[in-house]
Amino acid sequence: MAENPPRMAEALLRWLVGGRDADAVAGDLREQFAARGGGRLWYWRQALSCAAVRVSPHRRMLPGLGQDFTHALRTIRRSPGYALTAMFCLALAMGVNTTLFSLLDSIYFRRLPVPEADRLVKIEREKNALCYWREFVDFRGSLRSMQTAGWGTLFSDEISIGNLRMHAVAEMVSANFAHVLRVGTAAGRWFTPEDDSPAASPSVVISYRFWKSHMNADPAAVGSVLRTGAGQLRIVGIAPSGFEGAFPPFAIDYWFPMAAVTGRRDAPMALLGRLQPRATLDSAAAEFRVIDARLRSDPHDPRAPYPATIQPFTGLAFQGGVRRLAPLARMMSFVCAAVLLIACLNVANLLLSRAAVRQRELAIRHGLGATRWRLFRARLVESLILSAGGEVIGLAAGHWIGRALEIALPSIPEEALRGLQFGLDWRVGASLTAVSMVAAAVFAIASGRVRAVRWRQIYSIAQVTFSLTLLIATALLLRGLDHALHTDPGFATDRRMVVNFSDRHDRLAALLARARAVPGIEDATLARVPLGTISGACATPAADAPPRRVNQNVVEPNYFALMQIPILRGAGFTDAPGLLVNESMARAFWPGQEAIGKPLWTGCTAATRTMLPVAGIVRDLDNPGDTEHVPAFYLSLRSHPENTRGLFGLIVRTAGDPYRWRKALSDALMAEAPDLRIYEMTSISDAISEDLWQSRWQAALLGSVAALAILLAAIGLYGVVACSVAQRTREIGVRMAVGAQAGDVQWMFVGEGLRITLAGVVLGLALSAAITRLLRASLYGLNPLDPIAFGAASLAWIAVAMLASWWPARRATRVDPLTALKYE
Amino acid sequence: MPPVHLGEFEQIVLLAILRLGDKAYGVPVLAEIEKRARRRVTVGALYATLDRLEAKGLVHSWFADPTPQRGGRSKRYFQVLPAGMAALAESKAALDRMWHGIKWKGESGG
Repeated sequence: MAENPPRMAEALLRWLVGGRDADAVAGDLREQFAARGGGRLWYWRQALSCAAVRVSPHRRMLPGLGQDFTHALRTIRRSPGYALTAMFCLALAMGVNTTLFSLLDSIYFRRLPVPEADRLVKIEREKNALCYWREFVDFRGSLRSMQTAGWGTLFSDEISIGNLRMHAVAEMVSANFAHVLRVGTAAGRWFTPEDDSPAASPSVVISYRFWKSHMNADPAAVGSVLRTGAGQLRIVGIAPSGFEGAFPPFAIDYWFPMAAVTGRRDAPMALLGRLQPRATLDSAAAEFRVIDARLRSDPHDPRAPYPATIQPFTGLAFQGGVRRLAPLARMMSFVCAAVLLIACLNVANLLLSRAAVRQRELAIRHGLGATRWRLFRARLVESLILSAGGEVIGLAAGHWIGRALEIALPSIPEEALRGLQFGLDWRVGASLTAVSMVAAAVFAIASGRVRAVRWRQIYSIAQVTFSLTLLIATALLLRGLDHALHTDPGFATDRRMVVNFSDRHDRLAALLARARAVPGIEDATLARVPLGTISGACATPAADAPPRRVNQNVVEPNYFALMQIPILRGAGFTDAPGLLVNESMARAFWPGQEAIGKPLWTGCTAATRTMLPVAGIVRDLDNPGDTEHVPAFYLSLRSHPENTRGLFGLIVRTAGDPYRWRKALSDALMAEAPDLRIYEMTSISDAISEDLWQSRWQAALLGSVAALAILLAAIGLYGVVACSVAQRTREIGVRMAVGAQAGDVQWMFVGEGLRITLAGVVLGLALSAAITRLLRASLYGLNPLDPIAFGAASLAWIAVAMLASWWPARRATRVDPLTALKYE
Repeated sequence: MPPVHLGEFEQIVLLAILRLGDKAYGVPVLAEIEKRARRRVTVGALYATLDRLEAKGLVHSWFADPTPQRGGRSKRYFQVLPAGMAALAESKAALDRMWHGIKWKGESGG
C-alpha cells in the first residue's frame, strides 16, 4: 500500500470544493494517487486546482445540506414510528400552546380592529374607581394631546324588534365615540354632538352582525325602531362589519348615546382617548396628570379620590378585568411552558434512543471523515424536520384542540369573560415557529450527548418533575373546590330557589304575595342580589370624611329570616328608618365601639348622600368565591327600591326539591305580570356552585393538561427502561443462565424506573411547594401545601411509573439465555 | 431553447463521458482525456467544467455508494443528457461547415 496523500492538501481540497462533491473529488485523487504510487507535489497541485471549482459561478451550492435533508427524510421514512411519535408529542404541545397563547393574547395584547389602534389609550382610575360624565366633559374640554371619548357600562338587555324578543348586549357611549375610534358605518350615520343632550330624540346604532343575524340584513333597518329596556330607540346607523365595540372580548349588539337615552348623566362610565398626531404616550400622560390633579383638587367633588392614569388600549378593556384574570393568566403561562418543556424532553429522549441505535452509523460516518459539525448539522436538519412537522400538525390541531377545550372545559358564566376566544392569529403562529426552531436546536444538542443513558435518565427525571407539579396543582384545585362546596356560607342553601328578574318597583309587593300563595312554597323574599353582597356602594361614618367603597345589598325585611342569616345585635329592619351593617363594617368603621345607633352616610356622590342610623349587625357571610370579608351594609327594599336599579332576586323556600315548584312559580309570576323579564331560575346550591367556575375551569384545564403531561412522561420513562432492557439483553441472558429468577430481573428494571421516578417526585414536590401559592386565590382557604393533595398526586404518579417500567421489564424476562448470548 | 455554445474543453469532456458510458466518473474521464486528447488536465479544471455543464443542463451526475477502495469515498458518476448530445452535434456540424473545402498540402479536399 502506497503512502497516504498529504492531509493538509486533502483538507484544503475539501474546503475548496465543499459538501459531498469534495468526497468524490478526494476519492478520485486518492485513486489516482494510489495508481501513480505517490507524488505529494502532484497531489498538492491537483488540490490547488480545485480553486477553479470554488470560484466557478456554477459551483453547486451547499451540496451537503440537501444531502442532509434527504438523508434525514430517508431516516425518518425508515422508522416512521419514532418520527410520528416525536411529531405527535410536539403537535400536542404546540396545539395546547396555540390555544393558550391566543387566550393570553386576547387578555393582554389584542388591539381593537380600528384604524391606528396603537394610538388609542384607556383612562382609568386606580383601585377601579369609576369616572363620571363631568370628568369626561372636563377631560374632553381640556386635554390638548388627545381626543377623549366616554363609553359607559356594558348593558345586557332584552330587546324586541317587531314580535321578536331576544337578549342583546349594548354599550352606552358618548356621541363622539365613533369619531374618536375612527369607525365608519356600513349604512346610516353614527351619533352627532346633539345626541349628547338629554333632549335629543333617542337613537341607536346596531352592529353589522346583529343586523345580519337578527334583522336579516334588512335594507330598511335604518329608520326602524328597536324596543329596549331603555325605551324605544330609532336605528340611525349600522356599524361596519368586524367592529364589535370597545369592550373586547364582548361582541356588542348595539350602541346608544348615554345622555339621550337614559337621561342619567350620573351613570359611571369608562373613558378612552386617541392621541393627537404629534403627541406621544409620555407627553399625553404628563398633560393628563396635570389636568387630573386639578380636577381632583376640587373639594366639592369626592367622586374622584384616586388618580387616573392612561395606558395603551390593548387586551381587555379594563385593567380590573386584566388583574382579575392575572392568576389565571400566570397559571396558563406556566402550563404552556411546562407542556412544551415536557414534550421537548420527550423528543430529546426519543432522539437519544435513536442515537443509541444509530451509534454504529455515526461512528462509521465519523471514521469516514465527517466532521463533528457535519454530524451536528445532520442532527439539526433531522430535528428541524421533526419540529416543523410537529408545528404544522400542531397548528392545524390547534383549532381542533381549541374546540375540544371549549367543549371539555366548563363554560365561563361570568359576563366579563364570555367572549374570550380560542382563536389563531399570526402572532401565535410566529411565536410558535420561534419556539419550535429553538426546540429543534435544543434537541440537536441534547441528542448528541455521548453518555446517552445518563442524559436520558436526567430528561426522564425532569419530565416526572414537571408532570407531577401539574398533577399536584390539579389535585389542590379539586380539593379546594371540594372545600369550598362544603364550607358553610353562613346562610341556608337547601330547599331554596332564586329567580333573577328585572321589573318596575311598583308591583313587587304583588309579585311577592303571588309567590307566597303558590302551594308548596313556604315563604318568599326579595333582594337586589340573592347571595352575598355587591360592590359599588360608598359609605362613611362621618359627614366630612371621604366616602369609602363598600358592598351593599337591598333586601326585604324577612330576607335574613328566610336565609337564616343571624342578626347578631339590634332590632333589624323596623318601621323606623335604619340600615343594617355586617360584622366587618362594624369593626372597620367603629372599632372598639358599639355600632348600633351610630349614623352612617351612604352614597358615592354629594347629591345621593343620605344618612341612616345603624339598626342592627348581621353576621359576615362566607360566600364561596369570596376570599375575605368585605364591609357591607343592607338597606330595606321597602324604603330604598330605587337602589336596586330594577334588578331583583326573588328567593323562595320550598317544601322539598326546589325545582319541583319551578313551573308553578314561573306560571304564578307570569300570571301576575305577563311582561316580567325572568333571567334565571336556579336552586341556591346550584347558584353557589356556579360561582366557583374559575376554580372549576382551572381544575379542568390543569387536569386535562396534567393527563397529557403524565402520558408523555410515562412514554419517556417507558422508553428509558425499554432501552435499558435492550442494551442489557446479553447481561440478562447471563444472569438467567446462572439461575436468576424472572422476578429478580424484572425488579432490576422496575427498580431503575422507580429510582428515576423517586428523584422526579422529590424535585416535583419541591417545585410544587414553591409555586402552588400562586393558586391561593382559587383554593378558598385550603392550604397551598395541603398534604393530602401532595401525597395523593405523588402516589398516583408512582403507580403510573411502576406500570410504565414494569411493562418493558416484563420483556426482559422473556429473554432466552441462548439467544441473548448469541446476540450481536 | 437557444443553441448552447460549447467551448473546446467542454466538447472534450462531454465526448469523454460519452465514450465511457456507464463508467464515467472522475478518474476514467481524466484518463480518457489524457489518452485521446493527449492533454494533462487537473482535477479542479475538470470538476469546474463538469459543474458548469451540469448547471447548463447538459450532463447529470449522481453519487454511487462509497467503496472501500477509495477510502470509503463515494464516486460521482456523470451521464450526457439529450441536451448535451444536441449541443455536441451542433458544435460538430458548425466545425464541419467551417472545415468544408479547406485543403491541406498533399491532401485531397473533402
